[in-house]
Formats: sequence, structure tokens, C-alpha cells
Amino acid sequence: MNKKPQLQDRFLTLLVYGSVISVSWVLFLVLFDICVTGGGSLNLEFLFSEPTSAGRTGGIAPILMSTLFILLITMMVSLPLGLGSAILLSEFSSEEKLFGRLVRRSLDVLAGVPSICFGLFGNAFFCKRLGLGFSILSGGLTLACMVLPILIRSTEEGFRSVPKEYRLSAAALGLSRISTLWHLLLPAAIPGFLVGFVLGVGRALAETAALIFTSGYVDRFPRSLMDSGRALSIHIYDLSMNISGGDENAYRSAFVLVVLLLVINFSASWVSERWLKRKIVLS
Amino acid sequence: MKSILMFLLIFQALALGSAQDKVTLTGSSTIAPMVSDFGKAFEANHPGIRIDVQSGGSGRGITDARQGLADLGMVSRSAKDDEKDLKFFTIALDGVCIILNKANKLESLSEQQVIDIYTGKITNWKEIGGKDAKITVVNKAEGRSTLELFTHHFKLKNSDIKASVVIGDNQQGIKTVAGNPNAIGYVSVGSAEYDSKHGVKIKLLPMKGVLASTENILNRTFPLSRPLNLVAKSEPEGVVKEFLQFVLSKDANAIIKDQFFVPLAK
Repeated sequence: MNKKPQLQDRFLTLLVYGSVISVSWVLFLVLFDICVTGGGSLNLEFLFSEPTSAGRTGGIAPILMSTLFILLITMMVSLPLGLGSAILLSEFSSEEKLFGRLVRRSLDVLAGVPSICFGLFGNAFFCKRLGLGFSILSGGLTLACMVLPILIRSTEEGFRSVPKEYRLSAAALGLSRISTLWHLLLPAAIPGFLVGFVLGVGRALAETAALIFTSGYVDRFPRSLMDSGRALSIHIYDLSMNISGGDENAYRSAFVLVVLLLVINFSASWVSERWLKRKIVLS
Repeated sequence: MKSILMFLLIFQALALGSAQDKVTLTGSSTIAPMVSDFGKAFEANHPGIRIDVQSGGSGRGITDARQGLADLGMVSRSAKDDEKDLKFFTIALDGVCIILNKANKLESLSEQQVIDIYTGKITNWKEIGGKDAKITVVNKAEGRSTLELFTHHFKLKNSDIKASVVIGDNQQGIKTVAGNPNAIGYVSVGSAEYDSKHGVKIKLLPMKGVLASTENILNRTFPLSRPLNLVAKSEPEGVVKEFLQFVLSKDANAIIKDQFFVPLAK
């Protein structure tokens, strides 16, 4: 071996390590900043009390509740729709056909639309046209529209990653398409679905622009899905941008948001792992 | 699945039961946090009544009040000529002041200097006696009432302003200037006063020799100040009237001061 390629190799290794370190360094800095500034002073009372003095003091209980309801609606609407569309795209339409290409392309475009556009659409369609007003329901439905493209595309990838032999063997064994789907393809496609779910939850929880026009600004306990409710991310935005002296509680809320996101992600992968195991044992 | 259905049914039942007296306010993001607090204080004394506050800017406050989408609009400037059809109720005062980073050695600027900086005629601090550094001009985004107040006072058009940074809210402006020793910006006096007293690295410039302070806004000597208004399409009635009376009474002063604005009721 001569010297030159070795040097090149070393340089490349350095470059790869460098980029990995710089990326994880950013994540580490963000988490460190939020945990130290927000997590250190967090107590249970913050989670279980109502905000006072425009959020400078008091807690985030109603905001947490609204956030969870918005998320619940988003997921209840987008999960079945997303799963259905992904099955149609991967199992019942070929990759070359115009229909599939058209749907896929429009989903990709939709995934790239800025969230403020979804907010304005949600405001015009759900709040005004359908008369839902500023409500948790409007917010959840708007977010569902936003999350769907990501969910569908990654679930579809999940289905596509299942080897063709599975389908052929199932057909050879005389299994119906439905039971092939239910017992074989669905469990095998779970990882892709999970990626979509986690990305979707992340995008929904992080959203401010789409929610300020749909679920609104009211920081009271919601009494129904037709009430306006402030999401955690909007609360953080308002505290840090609009309210003098709101920084401390903004950091605490950000910490809660990050923890919430991690808890949802971990429990999602835990549930899917258990489900996957059971499925494989049964079939 | 069953539990989800049950949950939906319960929520539906709750939704049907909630058709009660509700006051909706939309508009200025400067006023929204304060009115939220008014709402909570009012709700505590009036069980069964809900005060819903939505933000979105003064322009939206006007539109929503006019269209009847909101019972009251929140508008953080005085009435324009084409808005005389609406009823304006001034609930508090706010002032806008020029802020510099604390490291900047300049202590005051003339009105002409401010205009020249914002129109790009002066681009370096050394031209007006500062150090040799490029000026970072922080401007507000279109639609913000602070911008309207600023441009109105200095007789500028927003299209004439040569901004280096465009920001949305007061806190964002304060943070931008605090983090950049060569920046100049303009924000609410109440917010700036609170932050500079709490160690944020900004300084408030006097206007026409008058110190930027809440005191000087109240005695109306500070030139760059604005009224914070609630607007209604017609003379408010019922709950809306009661709420307005509460907001205009001196019972509301503590909440107004809490938000660093200047109350009027005595």
C-alpha cells in the first residue's frame, strides 16, 4: 500500500466522525440547556396548577391537558387514515401506475408545505367553514392534515421493506389477502409505521404556527373538545416572546415538552416490540 | 376501541352542556396576556361565564370586532380615520422607546439621527460619535402596532426602512439587542424597563430629552406612547358590558401594572 490513499482514508474518517460529533453536540447542548435551566427548578406543583399572571407564575396543568387532547385527536384521525392509505399505496397500487405516482407526489408536496399554511387552511376550513371555531377539535384536525403525509410515506416504506417472498409464500399457502395483511405484513411493517408515528407526534407537539389560528390561546382547563385550548408549544412561544419575565416558566415548559416527547417515543417502541413478539408467536 | 367511543360520548355530552355566556376577544398580542388575566379575575367573580382570548395582532382585532367574530377586539394603537365606526375604550397606556446594547457608549440620539439610521443614511456608529462598527438595525414585522407607532411618530414609511433584522415581538427585540453590541431597536417601555432592571444588557434612550419610563408615559410627557384599547362594534351590553366595566375600573390596575403597562383609572 502506498501512502496517499491512507491519508485520504484518515481524512475521510475524520470528516465522518467530525460530522457525527457536531450533530450530536447540538442535540446535547439543547438538551443540556433545557434540562439545567428548566429541569432543575421543576416541581410537581408546576404540573398540577393553573398559570397565573399570564404564565409568569403558576403551572401548566390546563395547557398540558389541552396539548394531550389535541395530540389524541390528531392521532385518532391520522393513524387509521394513514395506515389505510399506506396499505393502498404499497399493496394495492403498483409503483409505476399514474394514480400511485400522483398520490405519492402530492403527499411529498404536502409534507413540505410550511405549517403556517396549514394553520391558515385550518382556520378557514375547520374554524370558519365547518363552524368549529377556535377549538381543540379544529387544532387536532389541522395537525392531522399536517402529520398524515409523513405518516403515510414512512408506513408505506415499512410495507415495501417486507420481502416479496412473504406475499408469495402466503399466497401459495392459500391465505387470503386480508389475513396475509393482518398476520404477516402488518407486524412486519410496524417499524416503518412506528417511525411515522414518532415523527408525527414530534411534529404535532412542536407545532405553534398551525395551532395559534386553530386551537387558540385560551389557557384554561378545556371543558369540551369545542373549547379553545392553548398547546404547550404556543405557551412556550408566548412566554418567551410576549411576556417580560416569562423565561423561567418557558424553560420549565420546554423541559416538560421534551420529557413528554421522550416518554411517548419510548412507550411507542415498547408497545410495538411487545405487539410484534406476540404476533410472531401466534402466527 | 370501546373506551375511545365512551370518551367521545362523554366529550360530546360536555360539549352540548357548554352553550353558556362567553365573551370572545381577539387581537393584539401585546394586550392578549393582560386580558387573559382580566378574564381569569372576572371569571372568579362570575361563575358560569367564560372569557376567551385569542391573539393575532391589532389588525385582526379590528376585523373580528367589525365582523362580529369577536365581542371585543384588542387594538394597541389609537383609532385610524376609517375606524371611527367602532367604539374605542382605552384600558391602559404603553410607550415605545429606542433601545441600545449596554456596551454602546452613546447615551442619546436625536430624532433626525434615529430617522437617518433607520433609513440607511447612517450605517456606522462612528458617524455619530460611537465606535467604528456597522449598525444592526432591528425592525418589527409588518402588522405590529409597535411598528405603526414608531413609523407614525418618525413620519417614516416601512418601505423606507433599511432593516438588518426583522423581528416579531417585544421580547425578541430585547433579546436581539441584548445579544448584539451594535444593534438598535425599539420596544415597549414597560418590557424594556423591567428587563433592564433585571440585568438584561440593554439601555433605554430618552426621547426629546424625556426619560423613557412608565412614570413619564402616565403624565403623558413621553412622546412615543400609545393607548391600549378594546374596541366594539356597538355599545356593549350584558356580560360584555360588565367585563368592560371591570377592566376600566381601578380593580384592574394591579393586573395592568403586572404586565408593565400604565393604568389610567384612579
